[in-house]
Amino acid sequence: MITASIISGLGMGSMYALLALGFHITFIVSRTVNFAQGSAMMVGAVLGYTFCITWGLPWIVAAFLALALCAVYGLAIERFLVRPFHSRGSEAWLMATVAGGLLMDNLVMLIFGKEPRRFLLEPVDHRLEIFGSGVNLMQLIIPAVVAVIVVALILVRRYTRLGKVLGATVQNPSAARMMGIHVNRVVAVSFAISTVFAGIAGLLIAPLVSVHSEMGMLFGLKAFAVAILGGIASANGVVMAGLLFGLAEALIIVYLGSTMAQIVTFSLVIVALAIRPNGLFGSRTLVKV
Amino acid sequence: MNFPSMPRSIPLLVPGLLALLAVVASVLSFTLGGYGLLVLTLIALTTTVCSGLNILVGLSGQISFGHVAFYAIGAYVSALMTMAGLPLPLAMLTAALASALVGALLAIPAVRVSGPYLAMVTIAFGFIVHHGLIEWRSVTGGSNGLAGVPMPETGPLPADTGLALMACGLMVASLLFFHRLATSGWGRAIRSVKATEIAARSLGFNPVQTKTLAFALSALFAGLAGSLLSPLMMFINPDSFPFTQSILFVLAVIVGGAGTVFGPLLGAILIVLVPELLSSMAEMRLLLFSGVLLAVLWIAPTGALGVLQARFARPPKVIPEAKPDQQRLADFLTREGNEARGLEVDAIGIRFGGVQAAHGVSFTAKPGTVTSIIGPNGAGKTTVLNMVSGFYAPDTGRISLDSELAGLSAWKIARAGISRTYQTTQLFAGMTVLENLLAGMQRGRLGDCWRKPQAQRVALAMDLLALVGYRGSVHAPAEVLPHVDRRLVEIARALALAPKVLLLDEPAAGLSRADTDRVTDLLRTVAGYGIAVILVEHDMTMVMSVSDRVLVLDSGRPIAWGDPEEVRVNPDVVRAYLGSTDYQAPPRPQSWDGSRDATLFVKDVVIDYGAAPVVQGVSLVVNPGELIAILGANGAGKSSILQAIAGLHPASRGSVVFNNESIENLDASRIAGKGLALVPEGRQVFPELSVRDNLLMGAYTRTDKNNLEQDVEQILTRFPRLKDRIDSPAGLLSGGEQQMVAIGRGLMARPSILLLDEPSLGLAPAMVAELYDALAALRDEGVTLLLVDQMANLALQVADRAYVLETGCVVHSGKAESLRNDPELEAAYLGDNVA
Amino acid sequence: MKIRTRIKQWLLPLSMAGLVSLAGLAQAEEILKVGLVAALSGQSAKSGEAITRGLTIAIDEINASGGILGRQVELLRRDDESNPNKGLLAARELVQKEEVAVLFGGLDTPVSLAIVPLANRMKFPFMGVWAAGTPITHNGADENYVFRVSAVDELVDEALVQYGINQYNMKKPGMILINNPWGESNEKGFRKALESRDMEWAGIERFESGDTDVVPQLSRLKNSGADALLMVANVSPSAQVVKSLDRMGWDVPIISHWGPAGGRFSELAGENADKVHFIQTFTFVDDQKGKGAEVMTALKNRFPEIKTLADVTPAVGIANAYDAMHLTALAIKNAGNTNGPAIRQGYYNIDSYDGLIKNYQSPFSPEQHDAVGPKDYVFTHFVDGRIVPLDL
Repeated sequence: MITASIISGLGMGSMYALLALGFHITFIVSRTVNFAQGSAMMVGAVLGYTFCITWGLPWIVAAFLALALCAVYGLAIERFLVRPFHSRGSEAWLMATVAGGLLMDNLVMLIFGKEPRRFLLEPVDHRLEIFGSGVNLMQLIIPAVVAVIVVALILVRRYTRLGKVLGATVQNPSAARMMGIHVNRVVAVSFAISTVFAGIAGLLIAPLVSVHSEMGMLFGLKAFAVAILGGIASANGVVMAGLLFGLAEALIIVYLGSTMAQIVTFSLVIVALAIRPNGLFGSRTLVKV
Repeated sequence: MNFPSMPRSIPLLVPGLLALLAVVASVLSFTLGGYGLLVLTLIALTTTVCSGLNILVGLSGQISFGHVAFYAIGAYVSALMTMAGLPLPLAMLTAALASALVGALLAIPAVRVSGPYLAMVTIAFGFIVHHGLIEWRSVTGGSNGLAGVPMPETGPLPADTGLALMACGLMVASLLFFHRLATSGWGRAIRSVKATEIAARSLGFNPVQTKTLAFALSALFAGLAGSLLSPLMMFINPDSFPFTQSILFVLAVIVGGAGTVFGPLLGAILIVLVPELLSSMAEMRLLLFSGVLLAVLWIAPTGALGVLQARFARPPKVIPEAKPDQQRLADFLTREGNEARGLEVDAIGIRFGGVQAAHGVSFTAKPGTVTSIIGPNGAGKTTVLNMVSGFYAPDTGRISLDSELAGLSAWKIARAGISRTYQTTQLFAGMTVLENLLAGMQRGRLGDCWRKPQAQRVALAMDLLALVGYRGSVHAPAEVLPHVDRRLVEIARALALAPKVLLLDEPAAGLSRADTDRVTDLLRTVAGYGIAVILVEHDMTMVMSVSDRVLVLDSGRPIAWGDPEEVRVNPDVVRAYLGSTDYQAPPRPQSWDGSRDATLFVKDVVIDYGAAPVVQGVSLVVNPGELIAILGANGAGKSSILQAIAGLHPASRGSVVFNNESIENLDASRIAGKGLALVPEGRQVFPELSVRDNLLMGAYTRTDKNNLEQDVEQILTRFPRLKDRIDSPAGLLSGGEQQMVAIGRGLMARPSILLLDEPSLGLAPAMVAELYDALAALRDEGVTLLLVDQMANLALQVADRAYVLETGCVVHSGKAESLRNDPELEAAYLGDNVA
Repeated sequence: MKIRTRIKQWLLPLSMAGLVSLAGLAQAEEILKVGLVAALSGQSAKSGEAITRGLTIAIDEINASGGILGRQVELLRRDDESNPNKGLLAARELVQKEEVAVLFGGLDTPVSLAIVPLANRMKFPFMGVWAAGTPITHNGADENYVFRVSAVDELVDEALVQYGINQYNMKKPGMILINNPWGESNEKGFRKALESRDMEWAGIERFESGDTDVVPQLSRLKNSGADALLMVANVSPSAQVVKSLDRMGWDVPIISHWGPAGGRFSELAGENADKVHFIQTFTFVDDQKGKGAEVMTALKNRFPEIKTLADVTPAVGIANAYDAMHLTALAIKNAGNTNGPAIRQGYYNIDSYDGLIKNYQSPFSPEQHDAVGPKDYVFTHFVDGRIVPLDL
């Protein structure tokens, strides 16, 4: 049972980490957070289902289309829900992204339908036995895919022009502008990346849960908790926190039951932040007087 | 979070409107039928919650996405008590106190965090309470909740009407309380901390205290409102308090207008009434409602009422007397026991990371004297001030003012009698000039939450403003003051603590000569009250004329200590300031004689930062191949000009023509694309990118990417010390090396002009020489350069022509060699006395 | 394709609603309004849709045959977002502003519980068609205005336990319950049913509707020696239980409340869905005859997105609402007017009505406000995506 829980915890944890990386990436570039991240995850899963199951496209094509539309969704969020406020120095983007997510959830409910659907991918729907505990193949695929994405992210940031432009914008936005980098575009791209991450998370989790318009809400919130817990400005911290959060949740379910999971995990988040106000892996910035 | 805030009240406007609201609400309570009455009651309760939340968001600048939890706590406490047969008023009181207590407890973690971290703490809190209510079945009835909450006894009135009246009463009371709180002692303390925590601490306010207070008060109102919700609904369960409701509360406060008295009312009407109007849309309702919310946010992102208020609520203009009441002022400012030894600082030092920012700094400031701390940029002057005022705890040494102060927190030090001003003024935005002073007079005490300021204090504040020579309206919001007034008001606010020691960090920065002279006189007067004045200042005229003793720092170490006459002739001091005259740049083989078809033409540029202009109508010309220097003391506006040209901070007026094209309205990234490269002050390399990537980033806008490697090689030939470090992160390089990277990065763009902002700042002399050799080489190769450097002697070594700036105006321009020995130049730096 | 039909589906009722309300202005006297307060958005939106369908078909039939008391019937729907406060507010609006004659309730027991006191105080009939919480109709009021055409949790729990004993020789069941008001109220019911038989239970495990993995809870039940599972959860959490059992490789009888009927359970739960035996008040079947076939045809005509049996879930919601509407029509006819107390009496005076669920004979009396009882419960399971009654 513990083995199964740890595997399941790592699976969920890497999901949270992926979603939380989305929060991280927009934050480091623009100091804004996309609270419609949960809805982007749902959009990824719903579109993937529609393309793959309803329309019968090959899954790879379906996934590509779904993610492309997720990216468009991210660009739209940035353009209409974040930039109009952020550029005026208003923090109402926060409320706007929340309202935008709510709008999208309800729009999907009306278009996609109110029924939860199963995104069954035959090739990955396998039961495996590991140390005597049964697990679904998908539970192993999720951490693997997330690991690949994290590594890819590291490589992109370290070795590609896009990654370096992103890094320059993060490290010094005003110097980046002096280099001729269009910071607004980088911000828009960061939103697209964040919603694509969310879309991938949605596609990955969809075979394990059911697909419906409300599926993103709680995931989004937990991922935000993960991002904050890790120290939202630190990518490594966010990933670590995601795994920690997933494992903690799984173990709490084993020992205390899932009804206590939210009470205990959220209490731990508060305690952790009281002790480390910049997150577990975040660093303190010196206050300049 | 930052919201424009605070009503600047027209007398009796708010009470009048509240009375009107009370009358309307009562009439409606008696006339509306069941459904309308319920809607009215819900609006009233929501307004109460939002008014409470407004204390947190509008006054304290924090946020809570868990406020529905306080609403729920109030509702459950009241339900449980009334179901046990206890009277509703008692239940309401208990509910309010219980919520306030929980709010104060939540503040323990909440005040330690800010921004998204604070949002998360409150979200987590909301979830914990929600699930707690589900799991604590024996008390809360679990997820099936509490049914059969009794309706209150309301005598002859129907219970519905009674509840509506009570809710409306709460609403009016909460709005009135907010109105009074905002201008009370508590309110000023809370708002001060919101506006700038740093300045609030140096006035003796303890941010933990004020933030906790705001949390508790705001929870109290949510609990109070909740206590009426349960008898109103007669049934509550955890689903009655969904997470989305918390978000709606915040939204109501923001779109209504955070910090305004009536904003929460508008917001509550929006979030209660709009869903009702849309109710016939059935499953489309939430969709349309979120659309409406978005539309409202787009139209009024900072709150509907804020927009209206700014337009209509003009406060009356009250100007302080020209002369203060001397007797009253003397009684206030003169402290007992002024025979005391004053402030004694003994060998303090502090390290940041690997840098020794200050070391072995000692001085004494006796009551009634002016002590100046001077030194070139980066000498550690402000660091010393920060240690004395408690923002940094010194690693070594002692600071005593009657008692030992080193290492105490800033607010404790302020209460011990040390107050200060800041290099960039830190007035409390969103508060009036008068309120800024009244906040200072509290000396960190909270006072009460209801009373208006005493007349005697107001009179004293007027005296202080008269003393500093402030001639504007005392009801003007601090954020709209012109620059000089900000300086004056900040000094007055520091004096409002009746301090024993007054620390001033560059009070003359950005002031005109005349204004500086007024401040100089003021400091003398202040010292005359027996206050020990400590001055950090670049303006040498001021320092030399006002100081009793002068301490000179260089690179964190004291290099001279004595009276002004001694210090001025000290050769170490002169070298530290004007730069060494030892350095001789390689001269141009032959003097410049190029095309007069200007590469860069700046005409009548005015630059301001929301207040008084820092640059007032400057014009300059850079011809192809020229090296032009802009010289002037700190704060003269040199860097602002470069930033305006580069598009980082656009000029408010004037034109910038670059290669025959107007660029004053373009974004920095577009300007860079046109071939103008800025090497910014403080290097600003990308610390985590390698040196090579930094250089390549410089070529970002280049369309021909063929010769990149070759160009990198060229940069390395120019700056050979970068060769070994080509693959290490630029952040790990020394200051001089980073400067080379920054210049190389600029050159990589193959710009038609390269702007350099203070390239020698903070570099060791040997490094400076190397750097200037490189600049001379660039010049000789025909690169067009515009150079800003405080070290005038250095800049004039390499420049062809120079412009000398003083307080935002060009006072002098001409060929470099003619300026080199011009006494007027020295005067611009070290003050007239020198000449 | 799908999107277009969806849009059509919304355009049609919307434009019709517009026309009806315009017409309503002209002849307000003629319209008899009935209200529905149910979850139309959020996780339980599907239930609201099913109730809407059932009521709509019944109202179409009634209007086609001349309406009630010669007045055409109009349905006004309000979204309660599963929030009791919103439900109460909506109930007040419908009753006091729109003056509906009868109010229908939705899936959430707490929302219904919030409306019950109002109904009894203001004397308007409140008809539950889904929420099964026992205290909704057993509310202790002297004059009870709350009626129900749906299952009752306590009775269901009793039936489930008995079924387990009869079919599986169950000795020590384990409970796996969703952590919401419904799960909580059934926990009480199960305890009562088991205690009355002096049976012990292996454990009571609760889980959240968002849980992706229920293995830990199920493992605990397995380790404590559970020989059958009593399950109460909505359709997708129920599916999570089945999938978790698959992963564990634990083959155990599952006796369930009607949650799995709420959607495409067999699609969600996979091949082992058929192992779950669950209770129903009504199911549509392929070779439906009589009333069921008529209603099915009407549904297909009225709602073009319905193509197969799999599209008419949850059947209980449709059937309960359909029967409740017809019973209500009879009650109003008996009353002769739309006065609350008169309609209440009208319910008591219904002799018989041949409905979808059964042939009702004097379904309501002052002592009996639940028209459907244990005798009407059928046990079913999924076969090839269809709900099929079990041959017992």
